[in-house]
Amino acid sequence: MKVKVDQARCQGHTLCAMNAPEIFELDDVDGHASAVSEDVPAGHESHVINAVRSCPEQAIFVEDRS
Amino acid sequence: MSVEDAIGDEERKKNRYHFDRHAPDYRDRAEEITRELHAQCPVAWTDTHGGHWVASGNREVFEIARSAEYISNDHDVKGERRGYQGISIPAPQRGRGNRGGFLEMDPPEQRHYRQALNPYLSPAAINRWIPWIDEVVRACLDEKIEEGRIDFVEDLANVVPAVFTLAMMGIPIKDWRTYSEPAHAVMYTPLTSPDIMRVGQLHMAMQQELIRRLAEIRENPRPGLVNGLINAEINGENPPDEELRGVLGLLIGGGFDTTTALTAHAIEWLSENPAERDRLSRERDTLLDSATEEFLRFYAPVVGNGRTISADCELAGTQFKEGDRLWVSWAMANRDPAAFDNPDQIDLAREGNRHNSFGLGIHRCIGSNVARTVFKRMLLQVFDRMPDYVCDPEGTVHYETISVINGMRFLPATFTPGPRLGPGLAETLETLQQVCDEQRLAEPVTVQKARAKVAD
Ligand code: SF4
Repeated sequence: MKVKVDQARCQGHTLCAMNAPEIFELDDVDGHASAVSEDVPAGHESHVINAVRSCPEQAIFVEDRS
Repeated sequence: MSVEDAIGDEERKKNRYHFDRHAPDYRDRAEEITRELHAQCPVAWTDTHGGHWVASGNREVFEIARSAEYISNDHDVKGERRGYQGISIPAPQRGRGNRGGFLEMDPPEQRHYRQALNPYLSPAAINRWIPWIDEVVRACLDEKIEEGRIDFVEDLANVVPAVFTLAMMGIPIKDWRTYSEPAHAVMYTPLTSPDIMRVGQLHMAMQQELIRRLAEIRENPRPGLVNGLINAEINGENPPDEELRGVLGLLIGGGFDTTTALTAHAIEWLSENPAERDRLSRERDTLLDSATEEFLRFYAPVVGNGRTISADCELAGTQFKEGDRLWVSWAMANRDPAAFDNPDQIDLAREGNRHNSFGLGIHRCIGSNVARTVFKRMLLQVFDRMPDYVCDPEGTVHYETISVINGMRFLPATFTPGPRLGPGLAETLETLQQVCDEQRLAEPVTVQKARAKVAD
């Protein structure tokens, strides 16, 4: 699974990091999110899906290759 | 308006619903009104308060609130631009001369203000304060712990957000009462109340005090949001005092009564649902985050905001005309069955909780991390020190209307008394002021990264 945060949409609600702290990091200065790495490590997919479903701005996009 | 336009207007506004957000009826029948709006017209026209749109559907609110190119927050108090009236419907009498800070601005100005303040309010910035916040909460509870009774609004939820907001601003925290009473009263006093003039005056006095502090910090800089604003670059220049006044008012308005309202409602609900309270306390490591979001969704403290349509457009299936006023209801969008299963039930473990309580788009509440953190720190200590508290419905007073904030005035409760753990509030605030000054806690996270150290 691949994950990306659309920086133009993200407004720093931080719900992604709340749902999947290993996957998303928040900028120290403005709290906007980015994926630690584009590839989601195995076993973390459900957390990422929860993050996608929780993001109020619908700013997180995943691509499922499997 | 030509005849054709008039007919077009009738057609545009064919989905009508009588909605008066200032009436007590809206508070009393909120769920029913929400259901009717969702079912009949998720974007409706109402003739109240000069006529305006009401967006209540989750999908509709999502689309409209994020269309920054078609909606404006501008409050043009001097009639220099297009005369837009900002985020209140109707524009408040007392606010006519004041712009509500960057919440009543559009980009690029609005963005410049936020960029200046973000490093004080980001998750990393707020986390530094946790031990400090915990001390304020500890002292508030110590004031009441031996007595076995507390008013959760007056003695806790009013105090902590106020003290912390002032600390972040760089204003002496011992003055918290000067700000907290007017900030609270302005929210709970209905526009039609005979008391509104007095409350307006109290609020003016608070504004004067803020202006004094602004001048003082300009003379003798001390770290904090006020200093950050004074030195902010807005369109390449430092902002004028008259704009800063509005921004400071916004920080107080945003920082004080909102978290108070959320906390009081959550504490009340948990008293009515003691099994859920015990579960949340027990499983706090896994449940506290989702429970916080759920309380935010269910009890959205800021129920909605006004906007002005800035260009003719079609959004969410409705034709809007430039200059139309629009009420975006975060609270109603949070109860849309199309977006949430069992929207009128609280589910502490709810997943995919895409609520709108901090707004959406470029105006997302800049204090959202403050609100979440302060709320959680208060709740945890209540769980630990007053685990069997019972609220008294007789003494509980909710705001008469939910025009702006869905808040509470009083929430008395009793609990099994316990021992004090430290000094009372006044003494603690003195110590914490010192800690704040010595460790320069109110600096932005870009300058000061260390976590607050508070001796036990
Ligand atoms: S939840 Fe969405 S908007 Fe919020 S920080 Fe994450 S990606 Fe950004």
